[in-house]
Amino acid sequence: MELKWVVTTPKTQKPKSLSLPQTSLPVFISTKPTHVNPDELQRLFGACKLSTHRFSTYAEESSSDPVQMIDVEKLRVALSHSSFVTVMEPVTPQNGEMIGFGRAVSDMGLTASIYDVMVAPPLRGLGIGKMIVQRIIRMLRSMDIYDIAALCSENERLFFEKCGFGDDMLGSTTMMYTRTVSASSEGNNMTKRFGRKLLLVPPLKSSLRFPNQ
Amino acid sequence: MAAVKLMSSSLFPNVSLGLPCGETNWLMSPYNLHTQIAKHASKKHKGFRLKAGFWDSIKSGFLKNSTTQVVEPPSTLEEEEEPLPEEFVLVEKTEPDGAIEQIIFSSGGEIDIYDLQSLCDKVGWPRRPLSKMAAALKNSYMVATLHSVRKLPGSEGDDQKTLIGMARATSDHAFNATIWDVLVDPSYQGQGLGKALVEKIIRALLQRDIGNITLFADSQVVEFYRNLGFEPDPEGIKGMFWYPKY
Repeated sequence: MELKWVVTTPKTQKPKSLSLPQTSLPVFISTKPTHVNPDELQRLFGACKLSTHRFSTYAEESSSDPVQMIDVEKLRVALSHSSFVTVMEPVTPQNGEMIGFGRAVSDMGLTASIYDVMVAPPLRGLGIGKMIVQRIIRMLRSMDIYDIAALCSENERLFFEKCGFGDDMLGSTTMMYTRTVSASSEGNNMTKRFGRKLLLVPPLKSSLRFPNQ
Repeated sequence: MAAVKLMSSSLFPNVSLGLPCGETNWLMSPYNLHTQIAKHASKKHKGFRLKAGFWDSIKSGFLKNSTTQVVEPPSTLEEEEEPLPEEFVLVEKTEPDGAIEQIIFSSGGEIDIYDLQSLCDKVGWPRRPLSKMAAALKNSYMVATLHSVRKLPGSEGDDQKTLIGMARATSDHAFNATIWDVLVDPSYQGQGLGKALVEKIIRALLQRDIGNITLFADSQVVEFYRNLGFEPDPEGIKGMFWYPKY
């Protein structure tokens, strides 16, 4: 766990005529599993209006729609299979409040994917998100993993570009499974709901046959 | 040739559940993925050594530890969490000389790393360090393989077994999964084998409520995945990759 100082006057836009005092905010950054409380993380998801479903109901909604509850037990499972970074703002000397988070899932050999990078809305624009991503990359590089992917939506793209991410040099296309039941498909298909999408589960097929049999 | 038993990522990393394949007349019929592994393991697999009460001892170990760490997975989810090793004959063909060729699908993850490297060579992929490949396979959530087993007429026991296809997926076991490295031996392509591999993985993932399934497709296989239900850049979601600036 490291203590870092974050400058609370964002570098971006303040005009020179405004003489605001620059204040520094101490934050703790940690990669320890014991420093993440899944319930706190669930709250942070809510505060950031993020979901674990890619096609969540958040994308279309206004702020009056109900918060989509994230399954804390599933979050616990996901955390136990991820490497992650958490940032806390010390509220009291004893405990801190989680204000930022990010995690990566890796096969510990060749590839890694970064998910769920988030910073509490009031503390955005201060470089905390970038700090989180850089720490994740540092963790992955120490495991000799350099093939690091991050799935991001349109409005997250600029952030990741600033963190050193870019389009795939090999020109691959990102694809996601989105097959759903169509009007013409048979009635007894198995489907599962994930956020807004009702995904079709491929059936248990009978054996294929070679064409010349 | 070193045969390395690799198991897809598991809560029980020391367990090797390599299922023997192609030995004697052992054939498994497809069974529902929800079947509990503890019940069927000892019944259906010859030579599958699993001590009695093994799962119970593992479970109690977890229950002991679950109070000390914040993020231990809940012990109740254990039995359904891992993709159950499944093995069955996908295709069977009798050749003119009486030999029988079977294409066997397996999600048990038993791969000889050198076989995999020669398969990668056959499809024209650049070589990657073997130790990294081995680690990647070991820590993948699911590794699906296709082996061709040829039984020559009149022979006893010695079948020719060749790795002809593989696909793997990494996952956080709860929300997200990425499918990597889908490959089928060029001489076996065009028969729906790649499709079978990918569909099986999708099915296993969805049945475990893992709904965000992603992959990064080279331009020549975008159509292949589109036909399997994948959409490019859905709703503007793109994958970006990290490039170190030296």
